[in-house]
Amino acid sequence: MRDVAVLGVGMHPWGKFPDSSITEMCRYAVEAALKDAGVKWPEMEAVSAGSSRFSGGKGWGLNGNDVVEDMGPTGIPVYNLSAGCAAGGNAFDIGHMLVSSGMYEMVLVVGGEKMPKGMIQLSGVDEETDPEYLRQVAVGMPGPAFWALLTRRRMEEHGTTEEQLAKIAVKAHQNSVHNSNARFRQEFTQEDVLNSALVSDPLRLYEICPVSDGAAAAILCSAEEARKHTTDPIWVAASAVATAQFDDGIPRGLASPAPAHGRAYHSEALLAVEGCYEKAGVTPKDIDLVELQDNTVYYELAFPEEWGLCEPGEAESLLESGETLPTGKLPINPSGGFLCFGEATTAMGMFQVCELTWQLRGQAGKRQVPDAMVGLGQTLGLGSNASAVILKR
Amino acid sequence: MTTGKRVHVTEGLFEETADGARLLGSKCATCGSTYFPKSPVCHNPKCDGSAMTDASFGPKGNLWSYSTQHYAPPLPAKFDEPYEPYTLGLVDLPEGLRVLGRMSTDDVEGLKSGMDVELIIDRIHSDDDGNDVVSWMFRPAQAQA
Repeated sequence: MRDVAVLGVGMHPWGKFPDSSITEMCRYAVEAALKDAGVKWPEMEAVSAGSSRFSGGKGWGLNGNDVVEDMGPTGIPVYNLSAGCAAGGNAFDIGHMLVSSGMYEMVLVVGGEKMPKGMIQLSGVDEETDPEYLRQVAVGMPGPAFWALLTRRRMEEHGTTEEQLAKIAVKAHQNSVHNSNARFRQEFTQEDVLNSALVSDPLRLYEICPVSDGAAAAILCSAEEARKHTTDPIWVAASAVATAQFDDGIPRGLASPAPAHGRAYHSEALLAVEGCYEKAGVTPKDIDLVELQDNTVYYELAFPEEWGLCEPGEAESLLESGETLPTGKLPINPSGGFLCFGEATTAMGMFQVCELTWQLRGQAGKRQVPDAMVGLGQTLGLGSNASAVILKR
Repeated sequence: MTTGKRVHVTEGLFEETADGARLLGSKCATCGSTYFPKSPVCHNPKCDGSAMTDASFGPKGNLWSYSTQHYAPPLPAKFDEPYEPYTLGLVDLPEGLRVLGRMSTDDVEGLKSGMDVELIIDRIHSDDDGNDVVSWMFRPAQAQA
């Protein structure tokens, strides 16, 4: 497998854009990525795209085809990848493979999504054989309750406080103030967060990511191509996707195996991240910053521990001492994360690739992680999909 | 107006027996993995077996975690108007299952991870005809005493 460079990245701002179509938003991101890379659309030899559940794609998830038709059909192959909220990361993984395999010199990876209002209806299947349908009808379990159950357990095991949960949201918003693409760019105090409405106890409104519209894109190419355009490219150190294991204890349907270890952890995310460590030949100590999928504040505590970035039970003290800020020793979501961007489901993996690239280039302005050399991104999606990527300069 | 008639929220998931509430599932004859709802096959990747037997679970369980829902859930979930917050539990059963279910308790503050709970069948809302729609729920074990 040969080296792959991220030659250019582009992002449409995230938020609610009722007057823009998903095609327009993707075009914005793609044109920005092409410009950033210094290449033209006809140079793209293939497209790998996240399949949207909610918008465009002719209802078949053919979102990459929408992009090709809009940019101008050149006959190139299109791969549409469906993996829930991990679709962008999944598309990146295939795009990476298309170049690392030697099949193509330069490819476009893109993810875009326009979300309907309100809580996400996870399942698209309204029938009694569908576990997601059953758990809404028979148990009455809304989406955020899933995170709330994990959070409550952590509070009782580790003594995590409501103030600490709120502090994660406060930190996210501190970062987002310096990110012009973010949907919410105002600072919150701990009091603001603690006064926001309880949704699924113990989680409050400002501790859960909202849904947004958004799009992001990247141009990947071979080392040979990259050197024609830049002396200092960003490299894909590793990309990996994974699905869950049988007995990780995560309640995915009405019931799951109650594992002997007694815990619940996202094995799909752990496998993807560990897959990246191994492929990149790095250890957790080498990671300078992390962009992880913060659907809720809980994951900022659980994931770093599960991935070996800190010791079990250490996440709260790192938070309290400011070590997860961009200037700390384990910067988490310097972008502001999805708490501040909102969840544009299938674009999220590509959002992270953009942020990591800007950070590694030193282009992140006032949210810059000093001297960032190696960055880790991770997404998690329905169907127990996960993706991870490690970029380096 | 209520008829007092109990209607199962969905068929085939639970039953009320003389010995109490039971969840209806399956057990793998080879590796012993348990499933709820019923599964025609075993999903344990380390198991070669495919013979499944019917099995029922309950009433003893151990509360793994819990959460009270302060917002009315979107469809297809149903509830009585006006919406009143209810609590969900995630419960480990000794038969090897981690099961979601409503909690039935007047003392949410008294809930604690690791406490013993028991399975019951009880009303979650009324249907349009005034029947009691019932589902499986868990309540703190001491409530029985």
